[in-house]
Amino acid sequence: MKRSTFLKSLVALGFSTIIGSTGVIAGESPDLEAMVKAGTLPPLNERLPEIPLMLPVVDEIGQYGGTLRRAFLGPGDHNNYTRAVYDALVRYAPDGSQIVPHIAAGWESNENFTEWIIRLRPGAKWSDGTPFNADDIMFWYDNILMNQELMPGGVGWMKNGDGSLASVQKLSDYLVKWTYKQPNTAFLLNMANLDGADKSISNLVFVPAHYLKQFHPDHTSKASLDAKVKAAGFDTWTQLFAVEALPHLSGNRPGMAAWVPDGTTVSDQVFTIKRNPYFVGVDPQGNQLPYIDEIRFTFFADKEALNLAAVAGEIDFQGRHINMSSYPVLKENENNANYRVVTWPTFGGSDAVVMLNQTWIGPEGEYFRNKNFRIALSHAIDRDAIKELAFFGLGEARQGVPAPFHPYYPGDEYAFRYTEFNPEESSAMLDKVLPNKNSDGHRLMSNGQVLDIEIGVVPQFGAWTDIAQLIVENWAEVGVKAHVEVRERAQHFSMRPANELMSEVWNEDTTGFPFSGQPKFDPRSDPALTFAPLVAKWYASGGKEGQAPPAEIKRLVDIIDEAKTSGRNRQIALAKELFQIWADNVWEIGTVGMTPMIQGVLVANDKLRNVPAVAGNDWPLRTPGDTRLEQYFYSR
Amino acid sequence: MLIYIIKRLLLLPFLLLIFSVIAFLLIQAPPGDFLTSYIAELAASGSSMERAQIDALRALYGLDQPMYLQYFKWMGRILTGDLGVSLDWQRPISELIGERMGLTLALGLGTFVFTWLIAIPIGIFSATRKYSFFDYFFTVFNYFGVATPTFMTALVLMWIAFKYYGVSVTGLFSAEYIDAPWSWDRVVDLLQHLWLPVVILGLDGTARLARVMRANLLDELKKPYMEMARAKGLSEWHLVMKYPVRLAMNPLISTIGWYLPLIFSGSVIVATVMNLPTIGPMLLRALISQDMFLAGTIILFYMMLAVVGTLISDILLAWLDPRIRLDEE
Repeated sequence: MKRSTFLKSLVALGFSTIIGSTGVIAGESPDLEAMVKAGTLPPLNERLPEIPLMLPVVDEIGQYGGTLRRAFLGPGDHNNYTRAVYDALVRYAPDGSQIVPHIAAGWESNENFTEWIIRLRPGAKWSDGTPFNADDIMFWYDNILMNQELMPGGVGWMKNGDGSLASVQKLSDYLVKWTYKQPNTAFLLNMANLDGADKSISNLVFVPAHYLKQFHPDHTSKASLDAKVKAAGFDTWTQLFAVEALPHLSGNRPGMAAWVPDGTTVSDQVFTIKRNPYFVGVDPQGNQLPYIDEIRFTFFADKEALNLAAVAGEIDFQGRHINMSSYPVLKENENNANYRVVTWPTFGGSDAVVMLNQTWIGPEGEYFRNKNFRIALSHAIDRDAIKELAFFGLGEARQGVPAPFHPYYPGDEYAFRYTEFNPEESSAMLDKVLPNKNSDGHRLMSNGQVLDIEIGVVPQFGAWTDIAQLIVENWAEVGVKAHVEVRERAQHFSMRPANELMSEVWNEDTTGFPFSGQPKFDPRSDPALTFAPLVAKWYASGGKEGQAPPAEIKRLVDIIDEAKTSGRNRQIALAKELFQIWADNVWEIGTVGMTPMIQGVLVANDKLRNVPAVAGNDWPLRTPGDTRLEQYFYSR
Repeated sequence: MLIYIIKRLLLLPFLLLIFSVIAFLLIQAPPGDFLTSYIAELAASGSSMERAQIDALRALYGLDQPMYLQYFKWMGRILTGDLGVSLDWQRPISELIGERMGLTLALGLGTFVFTWLIAIPIGIFSATRKYSFFDYFFTVFNYFGVATPTFMTALVLMWIAFKYYGVSVTGLFSAEYIDAPWSWDRVVDLLQHLWLPVVILGLDGTARLARVMRANLLDELKKPYMEMARAKGLSEWHLVMKYPVRLAMNPLISTIGWYLPLIFSGSVIVATVMNLPTIGPMLLRALISQDMFLAGTIILFYMMLAVVGTLISDILLAWLDPRIRLDEE
């Protein structure tokens, strides 16, 4: 299939499902119905767009009502909200395989992917009833992106190859065109992540212009703006704007998502988002979504207390902050506490990898850069023991490449390369690289010192400290000395780009999405992983500082850049090559992958329906947002 | 006495100024800044940010300025009575601290009263019936109380509450009262939740205090004036309560001053584990996320309480124990 035909068929697919649902506006929540009767809300057909968004249901058509109880860890946990609403123009499908229309009705591109047109829904409205149209995107472009005070650096996805910004034009009230200087096939992938995530206005692409004008100096008087800034306690208008532009920080800003904040924010003890009476989505029978009235996020200062609340059945649906180590105790209490445990494994990758710093300055660096040394270390690891002890037998021993069902899967020979436990072969290989040992049996470097690998660990998602300790013991058997250094998260993160970490244990969770966002195998990503911090510096400084990458690492970067301008088939071929290089070079030594470690152990209220049994699970998909919470419901 | 108090009060602003510099330096000591920890937090949810965006945020929050400028900005605001905005919460600091102040006080004072009400009678009882069964019983009990970390007690009790009663006893309010305006029902709900953290926090303090009371009282009971009074026919109860207990309380009174800041800071870990909306967990979080203005303000507040508390101790001691004299030239 030609690239353009592939994309056109995608567009057609999007449209056909939508057109199939026109005219069948059937039902709405009884609460809203009462408001319509009382005359405080316009009737449903005036609230929905001409062509509503049809969201398929997983099991059955639902019933209205109920509160979905979730838990969150305070102001830093804003993405708990982002993941629940997944408020973007286009979205990833539940399995992560493709992009589907959402708030926007669809898109088109020209033959060579330099121009993209986003098609909005005539008649769509913000949660306060104000029409939503092209001006809301143009306000973002003219007043946020182009404002030097708000966005001095611009954003990556809007940049042309030469560093200038792409242009955005309003073609009509419902058509907006992006023009790039070069082909851009990552456009939709990026668009699917512009949902106001994080605490950053740089992840927006559409905003309620009518609301934000009162906080922008181009649209309001300096005196009134200054007064607002002062009343909120801020120093500059930009600080206030950065809060008011995001629903979860503002609390009052109108939104397009299925649920909008009721005045509370992520800084409150209880953050509640309530049904948006103007939400553009309907179920296949034409009933307005969402089914569930509101989502309540209750604050927990401590993750363990949150897990206890889950065990006690006080959380209705959540995978975030549920520790994988809670899995057995959650299962044990499934029946008494009226919930069920669902597991959604990741998209591949490895859930604990040891990354060896390729740009380490010390004498150890010479060995880290020796491929045979890395292969030998990989063969020395008993992955089955790690799987049993740290992952309850879930997942499989593998390198950090996508899952077998993913189009980017490079093949078994790469997924399992160098993963068999073979201490003899490992020792034999190491004897060629580091033949000398001291009296304790530790291998010595050429300078006569013991090679001692420090494995930096942040106890983050899984039992990484235990895993690192198991690896230390495994390596000791082949004469390689190593030790574990557990650090506080922020400290560890500040050591990464400073090239102060010799090695670290982390996970590989962006393997399904190497060409958008900040993939972990792109050495330019930020936060850069320990894999090659000085190469990151080299790219960032235009070759003035840091270290020039060797050919294999440079090839990774070239692949990623080329794939962003290539059609789908070429993208797939490039992705496979990327992961072949990645697995073959063992810069990171994969252990066990495809487990539900990353937010993939979920509790779901027994009565909650339309929760899929399997789902794509990763941050770019905003899991569980990609599974369409709008169509979840409580059966009575 | 009055002159002494005035002197001490005059010294206060200078002390606080020095403390503020120390507090600010301490908070800035760990590597990185608020954004470093913010990025670390993003990575925890799988997200990440471009360098340009991070730099833009750093400029937005003024974190790209030299440290002394940031300090002056912070201090300047505090001196004008404006505590500024928390980087993490994006809300005025006065509001954040204010809404937690009442509950923190309730918890702290509740614990204080509980501790004293239990510890002093136990101390007296143990001392007057030295080496009796009850003395040994309380001794063992007290050692457990001192040796067990309070967060551990909290976790164990929380698990027992869940295991046998099927309830999770976190927080200070039931779900429906968390955000509700104050009412009689809400107060009742608060009291129903408050007793457990008070007991947990109190156990540790009770054990310590009872030991101190016992030891002090034993010292006093051996003194000759006791024999004398006994010989004169004073009843044992009257005798013990009138002099030795009062004297034995002396070291306890002198710790009231330390107790003032402790009311606010002493329960950080337990309050975090039990999910109590008090100031302690907020400080812990502010330190972890390097939200320096919020952390600095809370620490400064603690320091101020310590200074005031010490002053109160001194005054109380002077009043209680005639042997203490304040030299006034």
